[in-house]
Amino acid sequence: MGRKILLVEDDAETAAYLSKGLTQEGHSVEQAGNGQDGLFRATDGSFDLIILDRMLPALDGLSVLKALRAARIETPVLILSALASVGDRIEGLEQGSDDYLVKPFSFAELLARVNALLRRREARIDPADHRLTVGDLEIDPLSRTVKRDGKKLDLKPREYLLLEYFARNEGRVVTRTMLLEQVWDYHFDPGTNVIDVHVSRLRRKLDDGFEKPLLHTVRGAGYMLAA
Amino acid sequence: MPTTLRIALLAGLLALLSNLAVIGFIYWRTHDEAVSQMRQQVVEQDKVLTDVFRSGGERALSDAVQDTIAYADPLAVVALLDTKGKERIGNVEGMSQTHLSEGPRTTFLRLRGQPTPRRAVVIIHHLHNGQWLISGRIAGEGLAIKETLERSLIVALALALMLGLACGAVLARYVGLRIGNIAAVASRISRHDLSGRVPLSGSGDAFDRLSQQINAMLDRISGLMDELRMLTDSLAHDLRSPVSRLRAAAHAAAETPDPREQEELLGSVIRQADSLMRILTSVLEISRSEALTGRKQFSWFDLGELADELCEMYEPVAEEAGAAIKYDRPKRPVPLYGHRQLLAQAVSNLIENAVRYGASGGEIRIDVSSNGKDMRIDVADRGPGIPAELRAEALRRFGRLDSSRSKEGAGLGLALAEAIAHLHEGHLVLEDNEPGLRTALDLPLRPENEDARAA
Repeated sequence: MGRKILLVEDDAETAAYLSKGLTQEGHSVEQAGNGQDGLFRATDGSFDLIILDRMLPALDGLSVLKALRAARIETPVLILSALASVGDRIEGLEQGSDDYLVKPFSFAELLARVNALLRRREARIDPADHRLTVGDLEIDPLSRTVKRDGKKLDLKPREYLLLEYFARNEGRVVTRTMLLEQVWDYHFDPGTNVIDVHVSRLRRKLDDGFEKPLLHTVRGAGYMLAA
Repeated sequence: MPTTLRIALLAGLLALLSNLAVIGFIYWRTHDEAVSQMRQQVVEQDKVLTDVFRSGGERALSDAVQDTIAYADPLAVVALLDTKGKERIGNVEGMSQTHLSEGPRTTFLRLRGQPTPRRAVVIIHHLHNGQWLISGRIAGEGLAIKETLERSLIVALALALMLGLACGAVLARYVGLRIGNIAAVASRISRHDLSGRVPLSGSGDAFDRLSQQINAMLDRISGLMDELRMLTDSLAHDLRSPVSRLRAAAHAAAETPDPREQEELLGSVIRQADSLMRILTSVLEISRSEALTGRKQFSWFDLGELADELCEMYEPVAEEAGAAIKYDRPKRPVPLYGHRQLLAQAVSNLIENAVRYGASGGEIRIDVSSNGKDMRIDVADRGPGIPAELRAEALRRFGRLDSSRSKEGAGLGLALAEAIAHLHEGHLVLEDNEPGLRTALDLPLRPENEDARAA
């Protein structure tokens, strides 16, 4: 199901590449080449998501974002930036962006984040039953209990948070950096395979002894929880 | 106008002014003294004569006037005039009638036997019998002293001015010489020669202190320049090999006919590019930390909790590497004012370092302690450790002790941790854990330079 995405990016090559990729995923993409144009288009509020480059001519990305939030336009915003330091990322998030992606990034990473943001918007519009179910897996966020095939799984707190995040993004690719940012709230690159080790531990508790695995590795991108 | 001349003139002017002040004071005092002394003598003489007239009448006054002329000092002025103003007795010649009116005054008159008229202070009385009594003194010796004094004072002033100028010239030459040394070094520096240092006189005076400050600043700058040069060199060197590996893999991917192999090679291209990005991000993060730009994101948080989180995060990785992470979280919070994300990164770099190089020791111990003013978080492993003489090298950017490059990592982890410690006005310490390596961040509770805005 396609969505309307506004792409504000001054680098024509990047814009064309992203636009093509997102269109192939079934979204309709509108482009703006500078901050002023971007702000103008964004104010009509009909977009499901805005992808905003941080460094833009005429009006920089953070100013556009500030102006949007001041005008009470709550469209989710994903910031793209070549500024990679931890401070820059946090500043971007503090200004009201919903996600922050550092250039260069893989298209898979961008797509995973776009889908997560669109999904969040969906959930906001239509709040579902508080229980999360994925196939024979059942998660109760209130009591933080997890059952698979009716059998209770014994998870550590962080493993539970990981699983809940996966479940909320059921059927969508979740990247390692997304996990680090969303589950641990760390915005730096830990270098080693810390995340992989946590995921593989969770997978052992989740899938060992069951015929059909739920937690899948998506090569070159990340992981996905799906029945 | 050259500075030397200006300083000399200034010193001369100051000497002149201060001398003028002193001399003016002396002049004022002596002048006053002489005048008042004379006035008193005049008044006394006048009083005696009028008393004589009051008690003894005209005759007694005539005698008294005669006596005064005969016995008083030669500067006394006394005369008794008849009603028409003609002198009956006295020592005054040619006293003009127009001057006659009651009261004290200063006037010029000639004493009998004297060639020229002189200045005198007199008191004139119109007696009730119609005669005039003039009594006073020639403004003589007291004022003469004053005049001598005035002359010598002018000489003194001229001398003071000359001495002041001379002192000024010497002073200016000295100051000019000392400042010239500093200026010479500064101009060498602007010509891109950082090796010059200001010579010290050894007296420890203000100029020496200034010179020391300047020299210390130059040491620091040239240290930074060296470091920067080394950093750019090693950055270029360290980026060379991943870039050439990346290029080789991309080239091979373009050549190979086998789609599976191509996919694998492209995956390797992406991994190489990622690791390049990681190096660049770390370098950027280090220079950001050193420029102290992160301070606006400081906040209070519990260091004990942060360590807890990181231990939990690294526990599985350590376990896979064969080590157990041990951490006793302090019972009470250890509040710290700092950049939580960057400190998390610094501590995780220390833990990662311990896992990577010290896991063979089987145990990694993490400890958070505080004395209320400073805090310390240390990560100690039981691995091979780093010999004391190599520890400085380990802190250097890109400084990796195993030159084999077999293990991953660009050698920036400890350098970044140190930069983050500096951001918080703390240090990274490397110590012997006997056996193993102990790395610790020593941090003040709150950086001193941080203003109280976010308390």
